[in-house]
Amino acid sequence: VTALRRVVHEVHSVEFGAATRYEQHHLVIGTEQAAGLFADPALAGVRPQLASPGESVRIIAPLDVVEPRSKGRDGGAFPGFLAPINRKRGPDTHVLRGAAVLAAGYLPRNQEGLIDMSGPAAPLSPFGATHNVVIEFEPAEGASLLEAEQALRRGLLRLAVHLADAAADATPNVVEELAAPHRPGTSTDGLPRVGVITNLQTQGAFKDVYVYGRSMAGSLPTLFDPVEIEDGAVVAGQYGHPALRNPTYLHQNHPVIAELRARDGQDLHFAGVVLCPEPVEQAAKEHVSAHAAWLCQTAGFDAAIVTKEGAGNADNDLAMKMDALEEAGLTAVALYAELSGSDGTGPPLVAGPRHGAVVSVGNYDQRVKLPAVQRALGGKRLHIIDADATAAIEVPVAMILAGLSPLGAGRLTCRTDPPPAGGLDGEETA
Amino acid sequence: MRLVHYINQFYAGLGGEDAAGLGPRVLDGVVGPGRLLQQLLGEDHQIVATVVCGDDHAASDPAVAEELLAMARTAGGELLVAGPAFGSGRYGLVCARLVAAAQGAGLPAVASMHPDNPGIGEAGTAPVVEAGAAARHMRPTLQRLAAAVAKLATGATLTAADGRVGAPARIGRLVEDRAAKRAVELVLRRLGGDRESTEVPVGGFGVVAPAAPVDKVADASVALVTEGAVVPIGNPDGLQSARATRWLRYPIDGVETLASGTWESVDGGFATTQANADPNRVVPLDAARDLERDGALGRLHGEFFTTVGNGTPVATAKRFGVEWAAELRKAGVQAAILTAT
Repeated sequence: VTALRRVVHEVHSVEFGAATRYEQHHLVIGTEQAAGLFADPALAGVRPQLASPGESVRIIAPLDVVEPRSKGRDGGAFPGFLAPINRKRGPDTHVLRGAAVLAAGYLPRNQEGLIDMSGPAAPLSPFGATHNVVIEFEPAEGASLLEAEQALRRGLLRLAVHLADAAADATPNVVEELAAPHRPGTSTDGLPRVGVITNLQTQGAFKDVYVYGRSMAGSLPTLFDPVEIEDGAVVAGQYGHPALRNPTYLHQNHPVIAELRARDGQDLHFAGVVLCPEPVEQAAKEHVSAHAAWLCQTAGFDAAIVTKEGAGNADNDLAMKMDALEEAGLTAVALYAELSGSDGTGPPLVAGPRHGAVVSVGNYDQRVKLPAVQRALGGKRLHIIDADATAAIEVPVAMILAGLSPLGAGRLTCRTDPPPAGGLDGEETA
Repeated sequence: MRLVHYINQFYAGLGGEDAAGLGPRVLDGVVGPGRLLQQLLGEDHQIVATVVCGDDHAASDPAVAEELLAMARTAGGELLVAGPAFGSGRYGLVCARLVAAAQGAGLPAVASMHPDNPGIGEAGTAPVVEAGAAARHMRPTLQRLAAAVAKLATGATLTAADGRVGAPARIGRLVEDRAAKRAVELVLRRLGGDRESTEVPVGGFGVVAPAAPVDKVADASVALVTEGAVVPIGNPDGLQSARATRWLRYPIDGVETLASGTWESVDGGFATTQANADPNRVVPLDAARDLERDGALGRLHGEFFTTVGNGTPVATAKRFGVEWAAELRKAGVQAAILTAT
């Protein structure tokens, strides 16, 4: 049974024009139309900009990133924000693959990060490889920054739908049929049932992720339909640790779900997705971890991959969940960033599990030298390192947006054997 | 080869805690444990001088390591040996900093300390060989150290076979497969019966033995310290919001409360709205003053220490801890209340 048809339209180039249209892998963005989608009392104005792969551009202080997706004429994308929360949507989801919309600029809880579209940082961020529509903005006088942040989120989601709508009648590059996860109790021909637990940050204003438009704070872990995630039921609104963020784009393209689907029926059965809050109180962490393990067991998982968002606090959630899963007899693997200092000699994990196994998404503290760029979007200065936004700089990987993607989008890891020449520039091929 | 040996005031016979504030000095030839070390080294290597410093003085300022290094060079050292520091935190911190500084300056160096010494992380990629937990293990510790020195003097790199301790450097690199795919493969390997595979070692976290309880808190001097990044409003000294490389101190003598609008938290790791509405909830000065007035607490130390824990590497945090302990001991403080966010 096909649960969703992902109708993929590839974007190979972008430009601004009078009206939005999509033709032959070329996306034209109607500048006025795009800006108009951000009309809101909390915003004095927005400036849409473009940044494409290979260009000498740095995007600083990026906020959320969204992949353009649309349900076509009947609507329904981003339920809870732009559409009612019901399941009566069509099976087709149009995707502008290779494009992304994002906002960039100062917000009080936006820990400064960056995306370079060329140079050594480009392959470290998923958004060094996408054609980006970047929204620079001015909050309105008198509006709170929280209101501005909410207005930006609504605008980004509207823009994502607006752009994908332009491709709704185009001939797609490919149509991908996504099956529903296997129900518990169905025969697996001896294959293990493997699912994913994705922790969502829930720490209040500027630190929340939304499920159907609401924070998961206070909720128990729940089984969740991955098709709903494809359609934008999970939207990011948290701006801590740039490298350790999960922008909406990466929920829409959840890497672990994609890899489980890719192996489904071959050496595993995709068992499902559990969404889980990351509470800040110890007792709540224990409660949520125990409940997540019970839920996976009850849903017939043999194993779970656990993902997080954020740093030390979130590491504890990973550790407790892994231990709870393994103690319940399930196999657990989690994705952790290492915090071993710039020379890599410190303890790699601040709060690690007693059981299970860990995949490394790279070292938070490892430094990367970035050459100067011709132009910068999102601001003029990187305040956190007191440097001009276009300057040649040396930064920790921690500053590169989703550079240590806790959802597993990146290709970084750490090892104790000597690295190939060129550090993070040098690519291992063996 | 001409060696310079670094030891602390205690092993130099200059005194215990009472002498921990002594500044750096150079003594001729071998001193204290250097005697046995020299005996074990034989005639090929000569300890030409011993550099000494009080633990509190040396640990409380990272710049002291550079001063000690300069002294070792002036004394004609071609190789620097530091310790053994066993499990002592301040001593270990200084030994680790000193060998890191020496290695950075191109002078071969090796330190000796217990693998759980909280200072060990400061050595970075400079070699540290294993010492016992305490001075009763002096002889086997010096035997290992002497062998390591002899090997290092040949230009060879010390390895685990030489008793080298401390984590090997874990260096990041791009690999073929993204982390999500590697996670699925790791799950399948584990399900297939391989229970050992992991990209990062699991478990093995350090345990901190609690200090003895304070006898009479009503007579004690107590300090407030925090990793919640509370600073004067406007952050005049520029404390980082994440990945701290340093810590700051602020005087609170005569201050009754950390008023909103006068103090703030610049921590990047949590929503600071509530903290900034009442900074006392991160550094509980108001409550501590009440206890002081009631006589439940002897005396509140005249300054509080602050840094940010958010994203700060464990090794750096351990160093801050050792520095804070040295500072507070020097000031005669018996207890500290560490608030975290």
